[in-house]
Amino acid sequence: MTSPRDVIDYHPVLLETKNLTKRFQNVVANDNVSLNFRKGEIHCLLGENGAGKTTLAECIYGFYRIDSGEIHYKGKKVDLTSPSHAVKLGIGMVHQHFVLIRPFSVIENIAISSLEKKFLLDLTPTKKKMESLCEKYGIKMDLNAKIWQLSVGEQQWVEILKAVFNGVELLILDEPTAALTPKEVDKLFVVLQQMKEQGLSVIFVTHKLQEVIKFSDRVSVLRKGKFIDTFNTSDVTQEQLARKMVGRDVVLQITKKRVPIGEPFFELVNLSAANDRGQEGLRGASFKLHKGEILGFAGVAGNGQKELFEVLAGVRKIQAGEILFNGKSIKNQSPAEIRKRGVAHIPDDRINEGLIMDFTVAENLILGSQRDLENRKGIFLNRNQILINARNLIQLFSIVPPTPTTQTKHLSGGNLQKVILARELNRKLECVIANQPTRGLDVGVIEYIHKRLLDLRKEHVGILLFSEDLDELFALSDRIAVMYCGKIIRIFNTLETNMEEIGLCMAGIDGKMECSNN
Amino acid sequence: MFKQLRFKIEKRKHVSSLVQLISLSAAIILSVLITGLLMYVGKVNIGAGFIALFDGAFGSWKACVETLLKATPLILTGLATVIAFRARIWNIGQESQLYFGAIMAYLAYTQFIFLPPIILIPIIILFAIIGGAICGFIPAMIKAKFAVDEIITTIMMNYIVTYFLSLLLSTVWKDPNHYYEQSPTILEKFRFPILLENNRLHLGFILAIIATVIIFLLISKTPLGYEIKAMGLNPIAAKFKGINLIKTMVIVMMISGALSGLAGAGELFGVIFRLKSTISLGYGYTGIIIAMLAGLEPLAVVPVAILFGGLLNGSFLLQTTTNIPSSLVYVIQAIVLLFFLSARAISNYRLRIVANDQ
Repeated sequence: MTSPRDVIDYHPVLLETKNLTKRFQNVVANDNVSLNFRKGEIHCLLGENGAGKTTLAECIYGFYRIDSGEIHYKGKKVDLTSPSHAVKLGIGMVHQHFVLIRPFSVIENIAISSLEKKFLLDLTPTKKKMESLCEKYGIKMDLNAKIWQLSVGEQQWVEILKAVFNGVELLILDEPTAALTPKEVDKLFVVLQQMKEQGLSVIFVTHKLQEVIKFSDRVSVLRKGKFIDTFNTSDVTQEQLARKMVGRDVVLQITKKRVPIGEPFFELVNLSAANDRGQEGLRGASFKLHKGEILGFAGVAGNGQKELFEVLAGVRKIQAGEILFNGKSIKNQSPAEIRKRGVAHIPDDRINEGLIMDFTVAENLILGSQRDLENRKGIFLNRNQILINARNLIQLFSIVPPTPTTQTKHLSGGNLQKVILARELNRKLECVIANQPTRGLDVGVIEYIHKRLLDLRKEHVGILLFSEDLDELFALSDRIAVMYCGKIIRIFNTLETNMEEIGLCMAGIDGKMECSNN
Repeated sequence: MFKQLRFKIEKRKHVSSLVQLISLSAAIILSVLITGLLMYVGKVNIGAGFIALFDGAFGSWKACVETLLKATPLILTGLATVIAFRARIWNIGQESQLYFGAIMAYLAYTQFIFLPPIILIPIIILFAIIGGAICGFIPAMIKAKFAVDEIITTIMMNYIVTYFLSLLLSTVWKDPNHYYEQSPTILEKFRFPILLENNRLHLGFILAIIATVIIFLLISKTPLGYEIKAMGLNPIAAKFKGINLIKTMVIVMMISGALSGLAGAGELFGVIFRLKSTISLGYGYTGIIIAMLAGLEPLAVVPVAILFGGLLNGSFLLQTTTNIPSSLVYVIQAIVLLFFLSARAISNYRLRIVANDQ
């Protein structure tokens, strides 16, 4: 078999941008970007958050109108006026933030996005086509499930299927793997390889270097809105790309100092809770967390991680079992009570669960502590003090833009996460519960978050880290718990295990499937 | 190259105040035009019609004061809507809360009639507030316990309270000297004090202004107001960060009800002086329109309520000078609401002319 990478240079250009420039008020998001995408290639757009990758993708998808420059598609200059225009031409896009109708089922969502609009809505052909697509790509999914019942990973699949369903020729994926488990990522790679062999082109927006190397034929690097260079992936290393992307050397390997692990202080005993569909989401999960320990949670999305996080955040009712915090039961306590015990939560769904997008940054920074004395002056909020604190936090966590009165919805993904971190971590803590804290963020921010978590560990804070990034779990965790079917089936000592073992365990095909603590 | 021009609608990233001003002016002009058209259809001299409308509302000192009098209950029901809608609680029960406030106020009046006015009037006000709050509390608890939509329960409360009032007025509180379902008149010494000589503007107006300031401070400056806004904008994040949604909802419904209840006492003890089933001329529902037009901003409620009070008064003069029925005012209110809401929605978008290459 000839590697497609060898012949890619001979593939015709499918889409080309010439001096593409896009401004938002005074910010130049794309500055004279000229690059091309070939037919039948997987082309990564690499760059940090705010580098202009997504903006460029949205311009190609017709979501934004370009201010100057040209887009040529199949050799002809096109003036993309809307996403539907782009879809008609064969350009499809899967967004980082899903555009699904949550109360509708998978099938209904697909049918609505379908290009073949008929007066009467008949779901049967859609369903048939979807079933064959799912079978073809080996995707197991309840097509009648409502979107809100699906995990983030499953919702991403619906998005990808939506584009595939409409038969696009150029598929743009904006951070597609952010929500997927390693296994699902592999599956996605297989699917995209198949699509590529059928002559499809894929633009893969990412900032994960491993993915670029593992996966793409060519890679284009953007930095601060400017196009840096395009490489054949086989010609570059991760380190070279990282340097191009950030403009400086980056520490890719985390050095974790040994910290003596303290007493166990947080214990879960046979905890059970229902999921949104009323089924058993958690069936008897148990673990002990020690002071100064990072306990990682691995598992394929939808195996109870979300339910466990929500139980620990106090927003999901417990059906059976016990949670002991410093020896006292905190079962079914409210989020406010749990917060008062020094527990911080970093939710995976920043926009819906972590922030109020229509609030200012300063307002979001006091969410949860609005009644604390430091934020009050008598019965009123102490606006001046809140702004002073916000400015400090913004500086401390280098949040951009550095103005506390900015509307939160104008911030980039990495800065949204920094707002949450600033709010959650900047107080006396005993425990941090982080769900996918680095998902969708660029290397600079990830490096920063990892450092913060390790610093907290040094201060004897116990950390529960839910992550779908196994590299991250291995780099940070002292122990790794694997969740499967609502249970913690095993807890490994990180130094005594490896990815293969964890991966097998995640798939539930580990021979010794008994619940064990330690 | 031949270029075809076509229009494209885009969402604005930022809506400037100029755009807002233009769109609101357009809404006013269009409202006036449609109203004029209605007068024309009604075969009325349009000029005379508008002059009557304006004179009735703001044409004289007396008219202005009367307009403030009419605005008084509207300010309160408007505020009641603002605080509920800010929390995304759809309280449509202002009418029931207003009436139950009036009922409780009248109860206090009949029970403590032996007290001097200086003591009884504050008690009356307190009872009206409690009455309205109770009437907001009931649908709130039904929602908290059984997750029943508050839109349905608050509308149902409107009927329940109206019929309950009818029951009271045909039995225990009926004026024996009258055929109608109404109570005896309130003794003069217990009526709300008049603010200005030879006018009807009463204590209730001052209370409405105080309420406006309190609600403004509550929403924009206090932790509770912060929680109300957080709950309205993103209940999931609010819940995750420890805001008790049910508790906040119950509090908001009680405050909202209390404001409407106060409006009921004002009308009973300041204008009508008898408990009857026509105390409110749909003030509860008009309050919803006013709150929407005020963009759910407490301070904006006052000018909008005064404008609507003026419309009510103007329409009475319109009826006496022309033969257009005063109920035209409800048509005008609806027209104004529709145009303003449309203007606000439209100002979020812009029209761009784009070239299509052929």
